[in-house]
Amino acid sequence: MNLLSNGVNFLNNYIYYIGAFGLVFIGLCIILIKRNLIKVIIGLSILDTGVNLFLISVGYISKGTAPIFSKHGLDSARMVDPVPQALVLTAIVIGVAVLALALSLAIRLYHHYGTLNLRKIKEQRW
Amino acid sequence: MVNPVLLIVVPLGLAFSLPLFGLISKKIIKFIPVVAFIFNLIVSSLLIPKVLDHPIVISIGGFPPPFCINLVAGPVGILFSTLIAMIGLLVSIYALSYIKEGPEEKYHILYLLLLTGATGVVLTGDIFNLFVFFEIVCISSYSLVAYKGDKAGVESAVKYLIQGSVGSSFLLIGIGLLYGIFGTLNMADIAQNITSISPLSIFVPLVLIITGLGVEAAIFPLNSWLPDAHSSAPSSISAILSGIAIEVGLYAVVRVIFTIFGGSSNIFMFLLFLGILTLLMGEMSAFSQNNIKRMLAYSSIGQIGLIVFAFGIATSNAVTGGLFQLVSHTLTKALLFLAVGYMIRRTGSMDISTFEGIGKRMPFTSLAFTIGAFSIVGLPPFIGFPSKFLIVRAALAKESLLFTVLIGFVLLGTVIEGAYFFRVVQSIYFRGGVDNPGRKEAPFAVLIPMFILVILIIGIGIYPNLIIRMLKSAASELLNRFDYIRSVLG
Repeated sequence: MNLLSNGVNFLNNYIYYIGAFGLVFIGLCIILIKRNLIKVIIGLSILDTGVNLFLISVGYISKGTAPIFSKHGLDSARMVDPVPQALVLTAIVIGVAVLALALSLAIRLYHHYGTLNLRKIKEQRW
Repeated sequence: MVNPVLLIVVPLGLAFSLPLFGLISKKIIKFIPVVAFIFNLIVSSLLIPKVLDHPIVISIGGFPPPFCINLVAGPVGILFSTLIAMIGLLVSIYALSYIKEGPEEKYHILYLLLLTGATGVVLTGDIFNLFVFFEIVCISSYSLVAYKGDKAGVESAVKYLIQGSVGSSFLLIGIGLLYGIFGTLNMADIAQNITSISPLSIFVPLVLIITGLGVEAAIFPLNSWLPDAHSSAPSSISAILSGIAIEVGLYAVVRVIFTIFGGSSNIFMFLLFLGILTLLMGEMSAFSQNNIKRMLAYSSIGQIGLIVFAFGIATSNAVTGGLFQLVSHTLTKALLFLAVGYMIRRTGSMDISTFEGIGKRMPFTSLAFTIGAFSIVGLPPFIGFPSKFLIVRAALAKESLLFTVLIGFVLLGTVIEGAYFFRVVQSIYFRGGVDNPGRKEAPFAVLIPMFILVILIIGIGIYPNLIIRMLKSAASELLNRFDYIRSVLG
């Protein structure tokens, strides 16, 4: 019983971190294993999402408020840290730029080779 | 007083207003990078004497440092920003006649953005800001590698993009962990509090950040993108990637290890072996190449290994030597890529065997290439000699068997380097030449930047004291982290 409640407590405290790193590992696995370039790009996107979720959860407080003294009686200790949210906004924008570039390069690559299979695209070698 | 913010703001503003200039006249677009980097060069050189006195700390938004985003223009920052502005200026002069086809406007925008990002990385005092500027460098270099849009370019850009963005994600996770531990993103503030945390819990962010930055810095197991990207980009971009982009990545690694984490002897030992591995791997792969640009790219990896090795020794002389080697590599590799760019344009091939007898067709370009090759190997009248000499002397001054053995490996690497560079020089001058198609030198605008680089290489090589004071104070900024913390936090 005690073990179970400990487990539930652990999950309650760390569920965001577990989720975030889960996404990071899923993304990495896709990037390493998949042969199709589009799938690799999807992996990159999942990896990005995991990192963003991780950043948000660093500053997250359960049932917290926005860090603005909009009305009386707001406790500053219960406010969510705004810095990670600003970081995530920036990271999302960067992620979108990289993703767009990756997709446009994928289109170019398809025009040149007629395939997106990365095992078949290897003119550049060591 | 000149404000160091201008070093970032002016090129950034010009980059985004460049299409507007394009509306006035298509002809003036290519002169805008030249103007921007003349400005940056002037501002940086005006800042040098002040910075040697004490670092300039600029807080943005009017709050005192730990609460705001700040710029730290110390000796290291200004050394790098001067170098970036100088190489940026020379390569943009080169590009005036080199870049003729393709979407020129986009080339110049991305080129300005790449170097603005690099300047931002070396000047910022905030670790997340470092990440953002780093991404500007990365994204613009991905797209510039694919500028020609041919098979090789696009393929290497995709390779570079995938590896680079995985690296950036690692870097971001590391930064997030640091923020979770310390609640601040200011590098000086993190550095001040780093000893209050157990070494085990800062080990994970350290590893993640070094891995992330190591991809761009081309440290050994993370550099498989580099030979492809450097060899299939346009030559002017190869010069920037090899001369600036890797160095900026290396700067970030060094800043993180020396200033933020205040490196322990274990980390320095790790750097030593990483450096030697990178050096030997790079030189041996370069030796077996037939493609001249791939050879130069692998030689860059070798040079990076040497610089990492120098920083791993971590004495005052060694760090000075490492910075000196960095400056020397930037100047020399830029010269080599610029010279090779026009040789490739004339022969139409990157194969070394097609360069036979080109010494008679393009005497000035070949001379520039030869001087660059001699300098990078480390022959005396050129800049490569004093820098390598400082590193070897610093390693021998440690007076331990380990360092003597390691310096043996470094010298072995230099011998291999000499072998493959002299092979190219030999085929340029002493082979072929039976069917001489007549002399056709590169255009004048291309010869000017090469000429200036040659003057710098010989000038600093003969009289190293020209820059040694700057390098010494930069080395002491890196080694005395408490001075850095004090100058930022007051």
